[in-house]
Amino acid sequence: MSASRQPSPPPVLELESVSKSYRLGALLVKAIEDVSLSVASGELIALKGPSGSGKTTLLNLMGLLDRPDHGVVRVGGVEAERLDEDARADLRRDQFGFVFQSFNLIPVLSAAENVSYPMALKGVGRQERRQRAIELLQAVGIGHKHAVRPDLLSGGERQRVAIARALANRPRVVFADEATANLDSHTADEVLGLVRTLNESQGVAFLLATHDPRVVARAHRVVHLHDGRILDQAP
Amino acid sequence: MNAFSLAYRNLTRQRRRTLLIEAVVAFGFAALALATGFMIQSFDSLRAAMIQQIGHLQVMNPSAATNPEETTLEFGIPHADRARALAATVPSVVAVLPRIEWVGLVTNGTRSVPCLGLGVDPGPEFAATRPGELVVAGSYLQGDGGDEIVMGTGLARALGVRPGDQLTLLASTVDGNLNAVDVRVRGLLAIPIKELNDRTLVAGLTLVSQLLHSQGTVSKLVIFLRSERDLEAASAALAVRLAPVGPVAIVPWRTIAVFYNQVRLLYIAIFGFVNTVLVLMVVLSAAIVMTMAVAERTREVGTLRALGTRPARIRNTFLAEGVLIALAGSIAGLVLALAVRAALNASGIVLPPPPGAAVGIPIHVGLYPSAYLFGLAVMVGTMLLASFFPARRAARLSIVEALAHV
Repeated sequence: MSASRQPSPPPVLELESVSKSYRLGALLVKAIEDVSLSVASGELIALKGPSGSGKTTLLNLMGLLDRPDHGVVRVGGVEAERLDEDARADLRRDQFGFVFQSFNLIPVLSAAENVSYPMALKGVGRQERRQRAIELLQAVGIGHKHAVRPDLLSGGERQRVAIARALANRPRVVFADEATANLDSHTADEVLGLVRTLNESQGVAFLLATHDPRVVARAHRVVHLHDGRILDQAP
Repeated sequence: MNAFSLAYRNLTRQRRRTLLIEAVVAFGFAALALATGFMIQSFDSLRAAMIQQIGHLQVMNPSAATNPEETTLEFGIPHADRARALAATVPSVVAVLPRIEWVGLVTNGTRSVPCLGLGVDPGPEFAATRPGELVVAGSYLQGDGGDEIVMGTGLARALGVRPGDQLTLLASTVDGNLNAVDVRVRGLLAIPIKELNDRTLVAGLTLVSQLLHSQGTVSKLVIFLRSERDLEAASAALAVRLAPVGPVAIVPWRTIAVFYNQVRLLYIAIFGFVNTVLVLMVVLSAAIVMTMAVAERTREVGTLRALGTRPARIRNTFLAEGVLIALAGSIAGLVLALAVRAALNASGIVLPPPPGAAVGIPIHVGLYPSAYLFGLAVMVGTMLLASFFPARRAARLSIVEALAHV
């Protein structure tokens, strides 16, 4: 296990001695144990490790999708555990973006509406959010499919929509859990190239939980997890 | 992209299921609106019939309102002509009908039958209560009634008499003596309440006064008003105007109309029970559908929560689905109800007589906007109730578990 802090640039997200266990029947499984980690603005971090090593749990805790049993999660210096569900939802909406392995697009909404949704939550006006949604879709290369519903898009296109959606509210951190796992090799390369481009052009930090060596190869930092602990971190 | 917009799209996604639950709501709405419309119609008809018989108000001796009479006209209103003239000065009063109620015997010489006698002023009584509508043989009393009577067909049947036949009335006078007068049957009335039809006999006040030796005393003054809305004001005005004739009780028709009140309670109980069963069926059906919707969209709920949707917004989206189903179902139900109403009203079906009545009621479902608004309100409330617990469950889902849902 190792704990790492990066004092400069100041972290946008910080974990301090965080632990999380799950109960599986009578068994208490330690998913994450005493993990400390900080994420600086514009970083591209790969979380690597075998299945069950705690990558997804760590992403969930950092993304405020779950609460730790012990330890502190700070977002921009704010202790997230002190916040109620509404405040945590607002923080996710404003600071974070999420890209899921199965894309998780809303099936009843078009590509542009999917991208617009987080902006609608924030109260952005209809015209503005439509315009930005189309710009984001163009940025990820599928602007021409803005009116198409997810079920008519390919896997790669869906993931591009998901990435555009993650960037909708200009987040500081985007979490991606096995974002390339459901994509063919060529499409996965394209999506990773896109992530890298967005990371560099927009200064958004990316945390990518992955088994994929291509992801690891593109990361600024690789955090190696094993049995819920950080084994090592390498730039 | 508000809750209703998202809810609408989700409903169109599961079109078949949505149509099914909307059909349930539509049938529920139609049944509720028709039953409520029929109930209001029944109450209105019965109320109008009651008021036609007993007036809007009755002026009586205060003791008569609470005690049964042991002797004839024990609790009457003396100087009835003066009281009648004073009552007629109240602006909202359109008719004041003096009546004498008595009990006695009517005999054809070989057979005697107990009767409920009513002494009336035939002209004003005919104009205000339209008894001519009930006449099935002969005609109603004319002038002061002379020595003629009209009677229920049931009583006439018991005595075996027809218009033109002679009868004798026997009763106790106000002094406690037995008196008798000979009368001629002028007409027969088909009174819709069987007990009254078998006992009622109507004669002019002059004849009844002669029989009872009542000399200007009546049992009550029956007051008809311009409108039922004038009831309270007229009641207060009558109390003031009639003060010079001595203490009187002014009793509204609802207090006297025991039959109306009983039928009303019976209808409310029956329709209340049916409506409750109906609502429960809609609630259960809708709750199953909404629970399925939440279960199917668990992962989607997790995604929406992850994107920053507050729990209340998740809950509201599912509640909005319930409201949209209620609105769409109610619109379909409105069309269905109007079609069924038209068919029923054209069918000529006659319902069995209500308790105590002798004749059935032709089915007629009135068009009451309040019944349809009631149906809409109940369906919206029902769907909100049915959606509430699934919606709350969706809002409380753990994000991580929801995202992992397969």
